[in-house]
Amino acid sequence: MMNVAQQNGGSRSEARLLSAILIVAICLTLAPVLRLFVEGVTDQGSPSLTLMRDVLAQPSTLSALKHSLVTAGVGTLVSLVLGAAFAFLVALTDLRAKAALVFCLMIPMMIPPQITALSWTQIMGPSSVLLKTLGIAPPLGAPQPLYSPEGIIFLLGIQHMSIIFLTLRAGLRSIPQDVVEAARISGAKGLRTWWQVVMPLTFPSLAAGTAITFVTALGNFGIPAMLGIPAGYATLPTLVYQKLAGMGTTVLAEVSVLAMLIGVVAVAGILLQRLCQSRQKLHLVGSTSRPLALPLGAARLPVEILLWAVVFAILVLPMFGLLATSLVPAYGVTLRFDTVTFASWYEVLFRQPVTSRAFANSFGLAAGASVALVMICLPLAWLMERRKTRLARLFDSLLDLPYALPGVVLSIAMILLLIKLPFTEATLYGTIWIIFLAYLARFFAVMFRPVQASLKQFNPAMDEAAQSVGASLYRRLRDVIFPLSAPAAAAGAILVFLTAFNELTVSALLWSSGTETLGVVIFNLDDSGETGMASALAMTIVIVVVVLMALIQLFSRRFPKGVVPWQT
Amino acid sequence: MKSFVTSTAFALLASTAMADTITLYTSQPNADAQRTVGAFMAANPGTEVDWVRDGTTKLMTRLRAEIEAGNPQPDVLLIADTVTLEGMAQEGLLTAYQSPEAVDYYAALHSAEGYYHSTKLITTGVVYNTGVETAPTSWKDLSDPSIKGQIAMASPLYSGAALIHLATLTGDETLGWEYYENLAANEARAQGGNGGTFKAVASGEKPYGMVVDFLAIRNKADGSPIDFVFPEEGVSYVTEPVAIMSSAKNVEGAEKFVDFLLSSEGQELVLDMGYIPARDGMGVPEGFPAREDIKLMAFDPAEALANAEANKAKFAELFGAE
Repeated sequence: MMNVAQQNGGSRSEARLLSAILIVAICLTLAPVLRLFVEGVTDQGSPSLTLMRDVLAQPSTLSALKHSLVTAGVGTLVSLVLGAAFAFLVALTDLRAKAALVFCLMIPMMIPPQITALSWTQIMGPSSVLLKTLGIAPPLGAPQPLYSPEGIIFLLGIQHMSIIFLTLRAGLRSIPQDVVEAARISGAKGLRTWWQVVMPLTFPSLAAGTAITFVTALGNFGIPAMLGIPAGYATLPTLVYQKLAGMGTTVLAEVSVLAMLIGVVAVAGILLQRLCQSRQKLHLVGSTSRPLALPLGAARLPVEILLWAVVFAILVLPMFGLLATSLVPAYGVTLRFDTVTFASWYEVLFRQPVTSRAFANSFGLAAGASVALVMICLPLAWLMERRKTRLARLFDSLLDLPYALPGVVLSIAMILLLIKLPFTEATLYGTIWIIFLAYLARFFAVMFRPVQASLKQFNPAMDEAAQSVGASLYRRLRDVIFPLSAPAAAAGAILVFLTAFNELTVSALLWSSGTETLGVVIFNLDDSGETGMASALAMTIVIVVVVLMALIQLFSRRFPKGVVPWQT
Repeated sequence: MKSFVTSTAFALLASTAMADTITLYTSQPNADAQRTVGAFMAANPGTEVDWVRDGTTKLMTRLRAEIEAGNPQPDVLLIADTVTLEGMAQEGLLTAYQSPEAVDYYAALHSAEGYYHSTKLITTGVVYNTGVETAPTSWKDLSDPSIKGQIAMASPLYSGAALIHLATLTGDETLGWEYYENLAANEARAQGGNGGTFKAVASGEKPYGMVVDFLAIRNKADGSPIDFVFPEEGVSYVTEPVAIMSSAKNVEGAEKFVDFLLSSEGQELVLDMGYIPARDGMGVPEGFPAREDIKLMAFDPAEALANAEANKAKFAELFGAE
């Protein structure tokens, strides 16, 4: 009793700060989702399910739902096969140059999906400048093979294999060598060790990675938009986009229902993931002294060659296609020394004002979102760790929602919430602020979770010591909490920045004149037939992202451990 | 927080209302839009132009949303067709302006009250990849079963020019809706705008198509393996009109922009970019037949406006996404 009173007395400022930040965080992340839900189940102010029934009965809704489930589901399988093969080989064997492989495998995740789609269409089909230059292009009238469900599945699989790779590799690294050695001493050999010892231990992380991949693939907009729209094959996110772009805010209520439908499927995926994570706790054997390095023996070189060939095929080859397309004067021209021109590069980088505007917007939004999220998440994570109020616990269980829900859903929710600000005549729709707020909501979990994880390991004694010598709340935050959780916050900030810089799904629905992002510009350029310019800009962005990642990697030794998100 | 947001919103409103900046919404291709704006700013130092490019239909959707939110951005519209603008004029969304340059234009090329002025003539004809065996010469050739599944066209649900094209061809007594039914039966692909159609033809993915003239003729000159045909039955056309919004914050700048587009200098630029200028006695760009040899098909804007939604619905039903 005494203790409780003391704690309350000693930290009234903490309680106030917690409530204040919690309210801001809830407004940012959960209010839009709630607003969307209300829109779907009301009709002109009164509760009604008529709209929902009507929309769900439309044949286009059902076929888009089917397409979404098929592409996301099978795409996840492709990711699973590719990602798991790489993860097992990289984490368990004595391959050389692992760091370089890991770096290369991170790149597909950091390249925006619309660029992935654009680059692959350039190297396939009769349109391929590369195939034409090599003289092996398919005949006239042959369809572009990627404009098909299979094309979408294939590219979704490649795009998200890094997720499986990273989660599974983290799981594999925590398997102690002793377990494998024990199995060997008992006479288990090669594949049997793998199947009977390693597999069961990694099942939970494999399942969790699969669930995240499925949810991410379900919300993917860039790939089905670039490949599915030309083929008349709509998934739920592209259906929402087409309806909203074609008919405007008059169909907002209708697309809200569609957005909720995607949300329901995504939430089912998250629940599955939660389930797997709770099982994982029982399985984890603790951190390992030395990671496994099973010798591959004579197979090492062939395996290495195979892995690098795959990396080349999924990473380098499409980039060549993109480069070739950006260097010809008109679409369909063969690339030769006498046809090379930098006209597209010059036009898009130096003449089009929208490009510099988009660079400034994307950079500002990404940097702004990183900084703002550090400022919100750091104190919030710490206060929530110290004071586990009921509201804080509830928020903790729901804050993944805006990240897990597809971007289209969040965009619609944001429009509904901000098109008319309550109690004013003002609107944020059509300004850059709506995109900024949407980014804060979307990437909240990306920043919050690593910070939270790092603070869980932090000994409260240090904070209490500072408090006992009279350090104010602000002072403790600045001098104790911030330095201790800085590496985790930096890792979160890097991830937020790189993802937001490339973002398309949210901004595709929220942009307006002057607030274009880089993702939007590439999508619109390709859409208007300026594929050369779209390719040149896409190449530029890929170069920027890879250089940024390489710089972070290069300086990683000078950073404290844990700053570089892809080095666990 | 609320007052901060409100004041930010008002600050944004105020900044867009600055006197010497005009905002332009256009459906011209990006490079042309930039040239047009660049030439205008060179001729009118001190007036800045912010511009946004998108397909006419999407642009109008965006504009509708902005009007609903009470904050329409553009001062000037330069979009594909007069039909859309006629509709907007009837709703009172446009400002009438009698440009002094309009005397050098056919009366039919601008609204009598001055709500919009045509700036160029963009025809839609037949395009084909030069790799094909037989070159098409008429619209009817595209419904020939021997090229089933090899035709691409812009969707009227996306492109303003394609909607006019649909209204023109279906209004023609020798073609009519039957022609579109035949196209649908011939598995013609109608997706996206003219840009995507051109790409499909140039890449050989769909070696035949219907596309706007300048896109085909200009890229052919740059080496794209395609050719453009003015079909026997004639071509449909749009006139890329310019109009000033009634909500324009900078009417004076907007009027200057309209005058510039219609002036002989502005029309020279149109010619130079590879379009047929709307102004009298300007000639045609390289690669085009003489203007009197181009057969324009009959087209009734009032009827097209009245039928727009019905046409779109019927088209969607014929070509509908599955």
